[in-house]
Amino acid sequence: MPNARVLRDIKARNIVKANEVLRRAYLYVARNETLSPQVRHQAQLQLNTFGKYTRPTTVKNRCAESGRGRGIISEFALCRYQFRLKALKLELPGVRKASW
Amino acid sequence: MAAAIRPMRLAALTRSRCSIFQTAYNPTSARTGAKYLRARLRGPSMVKYYTPEANIAQIMRQWPELEMRNFAEEERLQDVEDKKKRGKGAPKKAKEKGDSRRASRRR
Repeated sequence: MPNARVLRDIKARNIVKANEVLRRAYLYVARNETLSPQVRHQAQLQLNTFGKYTRPTTVKNRCAESGRGRGIISEFALCRYQFRLKALKLELPGVRKASW
Repeated sequence: MAAAIRPMRLAALTRSRCSIFQTAYNPTSARTGAKYLRARLRGPSMVKYYTPEANIAQIMRQWPELEMRNFAEEERLQDVEDKKKRGKGAPKKAKEKGDSRRASRRR
């Protein structure tokens, strides 16, 4: 059972993906200076009604093992300590101790 | 200045160039919001960040013909039965507000 914060993040990602095109369309109208200000304002109000999980800024890369929000190595979806534990057990393909 | 080209002719050149190469003609650099439409969608790559976990219960539901056994769940149910035998099972759900242990403790 993954961490509660990870579950929340998964939920956010799914909702963001579902609403992305709609959001972009409204953003286009709201930021288009060639349109009338009334139309732009309407589009901006509609954007404000969107829930928080529709915004891509709510999505944060988390560690899939521990749920940690900081020190994440995105390629492995692990925080630095979990990365180290797994790498030393040779569970990460192609990762070995550096020496040069 | 040798042969200063009139701005109208330059604008006509840009316009015809845009029509030939099918690009947007925006001589004043007005903000059209096209960048929000032009950018690639990030949703699919966001969703792929976490690898989906294998859910034994889901597999059992989808393919009952495989006759799989969920050992973790069986062990959990066995633990619940053992606790009940010892008299440590879950307490009854309070029907009214005053019946719960917390309300009676406060008094």
